[in-house]
Amino acid sequence: MSDNPKIKVATAWLGGCSGCHMSFLDLDERLLDLAKLVEFTASPITDVKEIPEVDVGIVEGAVCNDENEHVLRTMRARCKVLVALGDCALTGNIPALRNQQKLADVLERSYVESESTQAGDVPGAPEVPTLQTKVRPIQEFVKVDAHIPGCPPDADAIWYAVTELLAGRKPEWTPTNMRYD
Amino acid sequence: MIAPKEITLTIDGKACKGTQGQTILQVASANGIEIPTLCYLKHLSPWGGCRVCIVEIQGSPKVVPSCSTPATDGGAIVTNSPRLQGLRRLTLELLFSERNHFCPICPMNKGDCDLQQQAYKFGIDSVRYPYLYPSLPVDLSGKYLGLDHNRCILCTRCVRTCDEVEGTHTLDIGNRGVKNQIVVDLNITFGMSTTCTSCGACVTACPTGALFDKAAAFHGPLVKCRQTRTTCSECPVGCGVVVYTKDDRIVDVFGDVESPVNRGHLCRRGRYDTWAEPRQRIRQPMVRRDGKLVATSWGDAVRTIRTMISGSTDWQNAMLVSPRVTNETIRALHGIGVRFDRIAAFVADKEAGCCTTPEFSTDGMSRLQDADAIVLVGVEPSRTHGVIAAKIRTAVRRRGAKLVILHSRRTDLDTYADISASVVSLERKFWKQVGDVLGTAKRPVLIYGPAAMSAVGVTILDRLIKTLGTIGDGGEMLAPIQLPTSTNSLALAAAGVEPVEDVSTWLAVQPLNFLHVLASDEPDGGARLLKEPHVRALLEQIDNVVVQASYESELTRLARVVLPAAIWCEKTGTITNFEGRTLPLQAALPADGEAREDKAILEMVFA
Repeated sequence: MSDNPKIKVATAWLGGCSGCHMSFLDLDERLLDLAKLVEFTASPITDVKEIPEVDVGIVEGAVCNDENEHVLRTMRARCKVLVALGDCALTGNIPALRNQQKLADVLERSYVESESTQAGDVPGAPEVPTLQTKVRPIQEFVKVDAHIPGCPPDADAIWYAVTELLAGRKPEWTPTNMRYD
Repeated sequence: MIAPKEITLTIDGKACKGTQGQTILQVASANGIEIPTLCYLKHLSPWGGCRVCIVEIQGSPKVVPSCSTPATDGGAIVTNSPRLQGLRRLTLELLFSERNHFCPICPMNKGDCDLQQQAYKFGIDSVRYPYLYPSLPVDLSGKYLGLDHNRCILCTRCVRTCDEVEGTHTLDIGNRGVKNQIVVDLNITFGMSTTCTSCGACVTACPTGALFDKAAAFHGPLVKCRQTRTTCSECPVGCGVVVYTKDDRIVDVFGDVESPVNRGHLCRRGRYDTWAEPRQRIRQPMVRRDGKLVATSWGDAVRTIRTMISGSTDWQNAMLVSPRVTNETIRALHGIGVRFDRIAAFVADKEAGCCTTPEFSTDGMSRLQDADAIVLVGVEPSRTHGVIAAKIRTAVRRRGAKLVILHSRRTDLDTYADISASVVSLERKFWKQVGDVLGTAKRPVLIYGPAAMSAVGVTILDRLIKTLGTIGDGGEMLAPIQLPTSTNSLALAAAGVEPVEDVSTWLAVQPLNFLHVLASDEPDGGARLLKEPHVRALLEQIDNVVVQASYESELTRLARVVLPAAIWCEKTGTITNFEGRTLPLQAALPADGEAREDKAILEMVFA
């Protein structure tokens, strides 16, 4: 056992495809090295829902609905360093494509008009989080301390960012290590 | 002419020499100092719109765009400072926030986009401004190119290219302020445009995925493709092309900026027709058995033809050759000529006249480039030689060159002409008018094509040479530029192959027992032969017809043996353009299926 307490990490999955989390798992054997240094708390990977006070919060996805915004604000309040993981968190990306349409039209197309739907209806139950008019990147809601671009960022980019953060530095992106696609 | 004054200025502390009239960017780049740019393209007029190339001038509080600011003698310039880098980054971030630049789903991603590459250089991992997410249309109505306004940064590289290179000015900027948008003609779609020539130069110029080639979209990043420099084989201009290939297929074709002929520009035929059009390739030798063409081996096909040709000593054997064949194939024809009683080239309509005295027009392109008066007789470059048409448009529109078009069908060029007369009068009054228009010309160029090879055409040419011959200071006789229709018809004629346009008469001279049609990669598989009266009936009378072609057609359906020929991008060799330049063909792809190069087929079958 190391004397240093482990760094606590939480991750959250907002409006996105979870590809960034998948890419995180692509760290493969490097995950074992990481596990020696950090403790994963709430995360879609651990399936722990309640975000505790953590050192690092990693957020994938854009803010599409009120629940996304709630989770994001909770994460921001409970973490010291907030990391935006992937293009959806950074730019809105694919989920933001719907911003070009009226929200009502988007819902109608998805739940009523879609070819695979028979007698569909737009969901309106109070339990279902309300969609926001526009999908927005997370830095339009909260302060973000570090960014990992990519759709999804590849494991090497994530590893670079994580190791830099663990060393107390902000990741610096250059043409050799960054990409948006 | 007075030599431009030399100037000296300091850029980033380095003493740099330049000449008066050069911009800061030109002097910097000539002295090995790199300034980032985005809306700038070397061969276009500067725009100064993107503000990425900004620099500081000592003594001035403002930053200025280096691409459009003249360098001054004794000036001190800073191209790189924390302030400049901050402003450049800010500019790029604003561009990203303004429209919908989503890289993962862009046809120009993974290294093809200048905007993306610049953003990487500045390490832009996030944008500090709220995204506007405007709702903008995507115009996919064009046959070959798409325009996605969501990815446009309004750098006007396309607008300037369309105006200054193709000369049609189809594209421009419409609306005001944040609603600025690229417009096609008077704000219609590409599909509706009557001025767009589909030359694709705007796509080549576009730094982002706003303008893209539909056939190339999502076929992989161009930066990862293999590039092969070769020559377009569609017409006798002989433009240099760069073929981008991946996994043995063409991803895209662009003009070769290194080519002395076209300097990177192409027309629709070279840019798209050769690869973005569906054509039914012939991939295997075929022989007719029980009335049906069946696939067979090369060995069987060759044996079948040899049996046909050696049927009897008094058999009449003939060959018809496409004027698209390479110089190497033409040489191979010499070697096998003994096997044939007659060999002729089936040239384009009225083209035989051009070929009777095959004259190459040395420096034709550069003379056209400098011309202050252009006369066209019996030639329609807009239809057949797009890159020449572009040169004519820009000469008239940008340099004020005079344009006289005689004895040709109407094309868009007539709208720019000082005189355009499809039917030419021989009256004194008309020729006085022509003389008045061309009277002041110092560097006149006379271009004539196959349609000038008629009694009227030749009379006009004589008149024009007299008119033009007496003007200008040089005192030299005007050398007219001959512009044939077919790729290599002049080289074929120069090699002594008889040009034939009236194929039916040629076929009827003496009944044939064996006819080999070397259609090469004629886009219609050589079927244009059948459009002439009686040719089909005459071909049906010949017992043994062999067709060597790349594409299936009505003609291949008449053949007893069909041999698969390689196409332009599968050939290695040379062709000779209208200027007499010997231009290289370099295979970009292996021959499809069992197809082989024309020369190899001739040598295998007849040697």
